[in-house]
Order: sequence, then C-alpha cells, then structure tokens
Amino acid sequence: MTTTSTADAQATAKPGPRPIQRDWVSRTLGGTLLGFTMAIGCSGLLTVVLAAADVALGTRAQLAMWLVPPVWLSVLGACFMFASGLRTWLWLGLANLVVFGAYFIARFF
Amino acid sequence: MRSDLIRIYKSVHTWTGILAGMALFIAFYAGALTVFKDPIARWVAPPAAVRQVTLEDSALLVSRLLASRPEALRGFQLNLEITERRPGRVEWQVKPKDADEHDNLSGHFYLASLDAGGSVRVDETQPSQLVDLIDILHRVVGLPFDDDPARWFMGVIAALYAVALFSGVVVLLPTLVKDFFALRVGRNLKRMWLDAHNVVGIISLPFHIVMAVTAVVFAYHDGIYALQDRVLHGGKLSSAWSGPKPQGTKPEARDPAAMLPPLELVARAKALSPGFEPESLQYLQLASPRAMVRVWGNDAAGLSPRAMGGFVALDPWTGKVLSRDFLPGAQEAASLTLSSFFALHFATFGGTPVRWMYFVLALAGAWLFYSGNLLWVESRRKAQRRGEAVPAQRLDTRLLAAATVGVCMGCVAGISFSMVAGKWLYGHVADLNSWHWRVYYLVFFMSLAWAFLRGPARAAMELPALAAAATLAIPLTSLLGALVPALGWWAHTSGPALGVDLTALALGLSLVWMQRATARRVRQGSADSVWSLGEAQARGVQPLQPGEV
Repeated sequence: MTTTSTADAQATAKPGPRPIQRDWVSRTLGGTLLGFTMAIGCSGLLTVVLAAADVALGTRAQLAMWLVPPVWLSVLGACFMFASGLRTWLWLGLANLVVFGAYFIARFF
Repeated sequence: MRSDLIRIYKSVHTWTGILAGMALFIAFYAGALTVFKDPIARWVAPPAAVRQVTLEDSALLVSRLLASRPEALRGFQLNLEITERRPGRVEWQVKPKDADEHDNLSGHFYLASLDAGGSVRVDETQPSQLVDLIDILHRVVGLPFDDDPARWFMGVIAALYAVALFSGVVVLLPTLVKDFFALRVGRNLKRMWLDAHNVVGIISLPFHIVMAVTAVVFAYHDGIYALQDRVLHGGKLSSAWSGPKPQGTKPEARDPAAMLPPLELVARAKALSPGFEPESLQYLQLASPRAMVRVWGNDAAGLSPRAMGGFVALDPWTGKVLSRDFLPGAQEAASLTLSSFFALHFATFGGTPVRWMYFVLALAGAWLFYSGNLLWVESRRKAQRRGEAVPAQRLDTRLLAAATVGVCMGCVAGISFSMVAGKWLYGHVADLNSWHWRVYYLVFFMSLAWAFLRGPARAAMELPALAAAATLAIPLTSLLGALVPALGWWAHTSGPALGVDLTALALGLSLVWMQRATARRVRQGSADSVWSLGEAQARGVQPLQPGEV
C-alpha cells in the first residue's frame, strides 16, 4: 500500500524483462481452479482417515466439507508466489497429482 | 523476502481490498449489530397485551391448543422466558404453501394464551422484522434477495476478502517487527493511518480468518456437498443425514394430551448437561412418526452450535433422547469440532463478554475496510508543489472517496433510521416491516447520491452528521417515549433494551467526534486533497459535473 501511483503506473507501463511475471489472469485462474480441485482431493484424504477412525459418514462429510474452503483460499492466496502464470499451473498441477494419487492409494488400505 | 514479490502482493492487496471493501464494511457493521440481535428485537418490539400463562399451566395450554387448532401440530414454540420480543407463552408460524424451508419471515404469526375461563385464545401478531433486515444486510450486503445467487455473490466477496488478508500479511511480514505496535502519530498522516490499519489488521487477524473461511462455507456449502457426495461419498450422503426410514406399519397417532409437561421435558434436558440453560421448546411434526421436541438453550461455559444456541431433541411422550449432537456442553468430539466453527462465527461461546468482544472486533473490521479505501485515495494524491497552484485531484480518487463516504455512512444512517422507524411509524402504517426496508434503502441510496453530487469533501462533513443524528435518535426516541406517552412511542426498561439505547448513545457520540474531526480537516487541512474544500473550490467545481461521471 506504500507504493505511490507513479510507481504503479511505471510498473504497468514498462513491462520489460522482470524476474517475476504478473500474469494476473492465468495465475488467478490456476489458483482458483487447481486450488479447488486440490481442496477436494485433500478432503478426500480426510474422509479416508476419518472413515478409518470410525467417524460416521454424516459427521465425516461435514468435516470434509469444512476442509475445502481453507485449503482452496490458501492456494488462491499463495498462487502469486510462483515465478509466472505457467509455473503456477505446473506446480499446482503437480500438487494435485500428489494429493489425488495419495487419495487413491489410501483408499486401498 | 524478494521485493518484487512484495510488490505483486501489494497490488493483490490493493485491488482485492478495493473490490470487496465497501461490501465488507456493510457486512461487518451490520454483523456487529447482529451479535446483539435479541436485544435489538426487544428494543423495537411494541408493548404487547397478552394474558400471561404460567409455566405450570403451559401443559394445559399446549393440549387445549392442539385440540382446537390442529394446524399447530406441524410445529410451535413454547417460550420459557417471556420477553418484549417473545410476549406469548406459545407462538407459531403458518408458512405459505410455496415457502422455502428456511423462510422464517413470510406467512402468518400467532400467539396462544388461556383466557380467564381456561379456554384457548389465539391472536395473530406481526413480529418486527427489523433484526432480520439487519441480518440480511449482514449476509448479502443489502442485495434485495437473500437467495442463492446473492449468497454466491457474497461468497466471491468473502474469497476476495480472504485473498486480501493473505496478501496483507505477506506485505507486512518483512517489516512486522518494526511496524507492529508502531503507531507513528505525527505530521505524516498517511503513515499514521497505515500504521493503524496494520495494527488493527494484525491484532484481529484470527477473527478475520475465521470470518473469511466461514463466510465462504456459508456461501458454497451446498455445491461443495453435492460435488463431494458424487466423487467421495458415492451418493450416500442424503441417506446418511436423514437416518434410517421408519420401519413397518405406520404407527398410531399418539394423543397430544398425553405428552410430558413442558417443565418435565426441561428437567430432562437439564439433567443431560448441568450447565445447559433451556430457553424455549420447539415442537415439531407432532402428527408424524418423526415427532420431536427440541429443547433450545445456551450453556455459559460451553459453546453453542447455532446462532440461537443449541438443542437436545427429545421424544415428547417418553422423554427419550433422539439426538444430543447439538447439545451445548455434551457433544462428541467430532460434533464439537463442527459446532466450534459455527460458534466462532456467531460468537455463541463464552457468554456476554465474548459477544462484546465480537461487537468491537466487527466494528474495528468495518473501520479496517474504510481506512483501506482512504489509504488507496491517499496513495494516489497529487501533492502541491511549492510555488504552484493547488492541483486538481484524479477523478478516480474523487469517485472512490465519494463512494466510500456514501456507502459507509449511508449504511450506518440507514440502519439507525430503520430502527427508529420501528417506533415512529408504529400504528401509522399498515405494513411496518416493509417500511423498515423502504427507510433503509431510501436513506442508503440518497446518501450515496448525495456523496456524488456534493463531492467527497462536503459529503465527508454532511453524511457523518446525518449518521450521528440518526444514531442519537435511537436513545432520544426511547427517552421521548418514556416522557411523552402521547407520542405513542415506548421505552422498555429491561437491561438488554436499555443496553441498545446506551450503545447507540455511545456510537452516536463517536460519530459526532468523527464528524467534527473530519470537518476540521475539510476546512483547514492542506488543500491538495480530495478531502479539502479548498481543492473543490480550486477546481471551480460546485458539485461534480455531470459530464465527469
């Protein structure tokens, strides 16, 4: 918030070679979509763990639902940390693979 | 941390804040008031002339009511404590046929009592929906419909709010130690506002994280459940929640007169959890196999899973416990975890001190969004160079400044006027509840229009004056109601109702102080600002020119 208007204006007027690219649209889309799928995957892992601990489906489903927004919003907040929009998609895609892979493996135990 | 990363998060913080800030101001100001929903409802409830029925006689009232009015078999509420808001021992609502299950506002409302001869007397009432208006403003920021699309819109606002929190923390982290508790009061006013914005933001961060996450849940839980049911639970969710279907032949209808007396049901509920204080009994579906009575109440030492408390569900004939998943102080670990999410949003834990804490935190939150907008404007201020004329400020900063003052002060004034309208218009209009809405929208949109027509500098003096006057009118109306009965107003003397008057007095006086400080700045502060009368005059702008907007 301390940036002045001129600094903001310069930043957008002269893109030039930058170490971190802004890529607002692809980052935000990546964070929103892949953050959501990752949150669903994490909630799947939680249901597997809770089912193993004999928590009833009615309760387990509620706990799993409550896990989705915190994970989703954290990923959405963190998606501006990656070096570019493309890297956001790659890293979050990889994280999704890991989470869903763990979920499908965990279901067999 | 890398400085270009900080810069990116600064942009994220700025723009999510600007997009969501004004909606969040309304949500937090109205939310602060919903913490004290019941006292406000008691404050506005007109004195009712209902013949009182003792708790001992309530069993008689229930059985005679059900014999004479079979529609009450679907559900009614028995109040253990009679207050201004709940003047009758027994009350119920008859919903219109097409009503949504969460619709508690439409249809007809009735109170039942016993007359001197012991027969049932039923009166139709029109309970005030003032607190429901405030609650709807809180949930969907004043959109006229509290329906799914409005909730989804609010979910987007809540998600922006969450990202604003995340990015605000990232921006502040590198200098957290230096900036925390550093409130640099001095000539650099922007520094002071920024310090104050940071301190309030960091101190109330846990509260804000709770609010952002729960608000997103409240907006999207239906969709998330539906998706999880398909991909994770194999479509078994609805049967898991509705429980096993009743077996065998239809059981005989049981005789309502044979139900346990209300005091006996209360005693059974209290025996389950010693700290539980029952407040009302909700009888449901008495003619069906799923008949139950929910004993609602609170536990000062426990947490309550819903805004109005928690309950234990009993069989009205045998007193058998049907569900204790929502009983404060006696929940299983998993249910308690789930309840804590609700309690953390609704401030239904820790009793009155926590309610006051939430009230203050919510008002501080409203201030956080207001100050965020002021900082946006201040960051884009064109300074006057030595020896040059006062520069005209950018149009976008003038528009945002006007919108901020118009929305925020319009909301405060609108709610206050809507509250006093409950007493001023009582008995003079046919449908008082719709007038609560009309008054709110009228004041809100007039304030917004006024802010754009007069420009931010003038509006920043005039609209806080309006908001202060409206808020001070709350205790003044009660005072006049007590002193001049001919007015037809009233003043309740119960603690909660008086608390509303005193809180409004304190808020009104704070608004007066804010108004005076702002007016001083507008008149005497440096002229190179949207908040200066000098700037408006230097541009030769009386109101904003129509072509500019």
